[in-house]
Amino acid sequence: MAKTYDYLFKLLLIGDSGVGKTSILFRFSEDAYNSTFISTIGIDFKIRNIELDGKKIKLQIWDTAGQERFRTITTAYYRGAMGIMLVYDVTNEKSFENLKNWIRNIEENASSDVERMILGNKCELTEKRQVYKERGEQLAVEYGIKFMETSAKSSINVEEAFYTLARDIKAKMEKKLKEASNPPKGGGHQLKSSEPQRKPPSWITRCSIL
Amino acid sequence: MSRLSLSQIQNVLPNAAPKHEHLLFEIESTDTSSVGLVIRAIYDGHEHQKFMEKLDERVKSHDKDIERMCNHHYQGFIDSIRELLQVRTQAQQLNTVILELDKRISATSASVIEKGEELVKARKVESNMAAAVDSLTMCLPVLAAYAKLQRQLKDKRYYPALKTLEQLEHHDLPKVTNYRFSSQITQQIPLLRENIKDASMTDLRDFLENIRKYSPKIGEVAMRHTAEQLVSEAEIIGRKKRSPQTNSLTGEAEEELSAQDLMDFSPVYRCMHIYTVLREGDTFKAYYRQQRKQQARLVLQPPINMHESITEYQSYIHGILGFFVVEDHILNTGNGLATRSYLEELWSMALSKIVNALRSHSAYCTDATLILKIKNLIMLFNTTLRNYGFSVGQLWDLLQEIRVHYNEVLMQHWVQVFRNILDEDSFLPIQVSSQAEYDHVLGSFPYQDEGWQRAEFPKKFPFSAMVPKVYQQVKEFIYACLKYSEDLNLTQTEIDEMICKSTNLLLTRTFSGCLSSLFRKPSLALLQVVQIIINTGYLENSTKYLEEFVSNITGTPHEGQLSCAGVQSTMFRVARDDAEKQICDKLKHKLDEFLELENYDWNLAEPQGHASGFITDLIAFLQSTFTCFTNLPEEVAQVACKSACSHIAKAILGILISDDVKQISMGALQQVNLDTIQCEQFAASEPVLGLPEGTLLQYFAQLRQLLDLFMSWDWPTYFHDYGQDSSKYNLVTPNMAVLLLEKLRESDKKTVFSVLKKSERDKKKLLETVLKQLRQLAMTTQQQ
Repeated sequence: MAKTYDYLFKLLLIGDSGVGKTSILFRFSEDAYNSTFISTIGIDFKIRNIELDGKKIKLQIWDTAGQERFRTITTAYYRGAMGIMLVYDVTNEKSFENLKNWIRNIEENASSDVERMILGNKCELTEKRQVYKERGEQLAVEYGIKFMETSAKSSINVEEAFYTLARDIKAKMEKKLKEASNPPKGGGHQLKSSEPQRKPPSWITRCSIL
Repeated sequence: MSRLSLSQIQNVLPNAAPKHEHLLFEIESTDTSSVGLVIRAIYDGHEHQKFMEKLDERVKSHDKDIERMCNHHYQGFIDSIRELLQVRTQAQQLNTVILELDKRISATSASVIEKGEELVKARKVESNMAAAVDSLTMCLPVLAAYAKLQRQLKDKRYYPALKTLEQLEHHDLPKVTNYRFSSQITQQIPLLRENIKDASMTDLRDFLENIRKYSPKIGEVAMRHTAEQLVSEAEIIGRKKRSPQTNSLTGEAEEELSAQDLMDFSPVYRCMHIYTVLREGDTFKAYYRQQRKQQARLVLQPPINMHESITEYQSYIHGILGFFVVEDHILNTGNGLATRSYLEELWSMALSKIVNALRSHSAYCTDATLILKIKNLIMLFNTTLRNYGFSVGQLWDLLQEIRVHYNEVLMQHWVQVFRNILDEDSFLPIQVSSQAEYDHVLGSFPYQDEGWQRAEFPKKFPFSAMVPKVYQQVKEFIYACLKYSEDLNLTQTEIDEMICKSTNLLLTRTFSGCLSSLFRKPSLALLQVVQIIINTGYLENSTKYLEEFVSNITGTPHEGQLSCAGVQSTMFRVARDDAEKQICDKLKHKLDEFLELENYDWNLAEPQGHASGFITDLIAFLQSTFTCFTNLPEEVAQVACKSACSHIAKAILGILISDDVKQISMGALQQVNLDTIQCEQFAASEPVLGLPEGTLLQYFAQLRQLLDLFMSWDWPTYFHDYGQDSSKYNLVTPNMAVLLLEKLRESDKKTVFSVLKKSERDKKKLLETVLKQLRQLAMTTQQQ
């Protein structure tokens, strides 16, 4: 059967309750915005297809509940994730401070080579801002991860953030594929030859550890 | 010579002898003819000398006489000459005097002549004047009458003018026929008549124009009076002690007064009078009626933007009413200018137009309050018209029609209300932290749960904010429905029926419609659907309170409601069913998203030894979902879980026999088996409570049988037990098996070496045989 995509990337959105994870995802998947706050129960996901360098990429983006009581359910999804968006709310100091806890969570639960990115959401609310962009940037530098300020409501940087993350994952993945098939086997069949093993690059492998 | 001869004779005679004296004498005394004879006589006598002497002597005597005579007369002659000269001067003097006199006389007489002539002229003028005065005295009354006529025309007193004209024509003018002005006036008379006609017509037109302007005002006043009358009547009914007659009577009197006071009808009467005098009364009536009909048409033309505001409706209604009040007045006072039949014809024409206009315009109206206002306006209009004796049956029918529309509009309005409620709702249970908040919620929605009532604050209601809001809005809707029925003279049963019907429609159509449009929103998460299901459950339970509410306001006994109750209990049912269906759909949609991630390698030689990623994710997702949705009503959760399992099983089976998959290796099939096992484990793990054991597994039974059949290659059993209910593979159809088997065969063809091995060849042979048998079986099954 012809596959409808070249890669499947599993992404995860984490962060405090109310920072706008669901809104970011809703903006990215439906290009829409809903002002009423409905807290996510447990876990939900959306799928969106994108194209990078001529490759069809399916993004399965998991939206987790920020509330503590769902922590056990959501943590289970860390391991399968290839990219994680850490979201905080620029109008909420606490959500920014909590980023460190979330990063620790990632370190404890996610695979070691997971791509991460910090998003400071609700950047359109300049009046209410509590966390300046510089602090976000500084923290990102500290952890060596990328950073962006976004607005799900005004549709700022949402696309860019997901594309950036997807591009990083793709680069990392293709690098690994290349390494795996290093002993040259006459080119062209690169992907096919590595398929039966599906070792390092495939997310399925990671799932198996689960 | 003769003198000489004469003197000679005389001389001779005295001197010579007597004979000479004689001859001289003869010569002197006779005339010359005798001279000859005398001479002869002298000569004959030979005395000649003597005679000569005698003659000389005679001449001497004569000279002496002459001398003496001259001496004697000389003085006298001088004196005479002197005197003559004197006379000449005197004559000259006299001449000048006479000339002067003559001059003077002629000068004097010239002026006299002049005066005389003047006098003659004056005499002539005098006589002319006398004649003119005579003529004028004759003409003046005619002209005066004419002037009067003009004045009357100017003052617009057309009727006297007409009288004057008559007089002029028949009385005055015949007397002065020989004057040119008379004939002119005579010629003008018909023209003047026409002018009078025209002028009075102009007046009438002005009146018509005015009446058009004032009609709405008249209508408005009439309406106001009716309204006042109604109010006072209502008061009378309210307090019967007060004497009713006086009130209403004064009201009536006032009304009559006002309608007339507003408008001066005299031009109509005048014009009518004039035309009657001119014996064209019928033409005028026809004209008037035609004009009024045209006006009626204009009045009946509703303003284009009438549907926009009540004032437009009011002016429309007032205009019509004013028109007919005026016509009614004309009917009563206008000397047959308007007749009953004419008015009735006009009214019936108007009525249908009014009904049409109001119907089409009110149909545009989307504002319930406006419709209510329109309804009240029409009601008042009806009452007023009825007071004037017009039949208004059709308008009552119209009110019923508008009621239907009103209900539609209400529904539309409530669509928005419900939509807003649903949009605003967070679909999280209402949490109250104080008694006040708790009471507030209970104040707007009847909810009873004893155990829950005792719980400590903060506590949560099981439903979200939309439940009390929707309940309140349904009540509001019922109120709004009732509002239209006020004063409409409907029976209680009719009102009851109407409310039940509308409320049912509201809930089954409007509310459910809002819910289903909510369900279409991609942002609606599963949890929200769950909460909606719970909410609708509570709303359903509240139906009986709604019934009570209705019977309280309509005052109908409770038994009368039973027929409605049966219907009403389904009101929220529709919404609930929809919500339950939605949760299954949403879940299926999510599952489909997982299934789309399926990426089986159909040439897989060996299975991975564990389930595929997407299945693991799917199961994990299902598990967490059902864990989270603890507040989902059990039966709903069961339905959802069943539909989920059924969906997965069908999907996997679908993949296996899909046309897109051309070949399947045994290894791939084993992988599918592993995945199915994963699903079966989930189904067996009792993800939701209350389902009998194995219920969920049943959905995987067909898939399981098919996989088992292929895994164990148990064709003998299959063929042996085929068609028996107890068969191990009773759910596997030959067709299905053929499809899968063909795919396996396709896959086998690829492995080139296999043909060399004997065991492989046997296996292949067996496969072909099985395939052949299966096809036969499939054929027979089809034929059966």
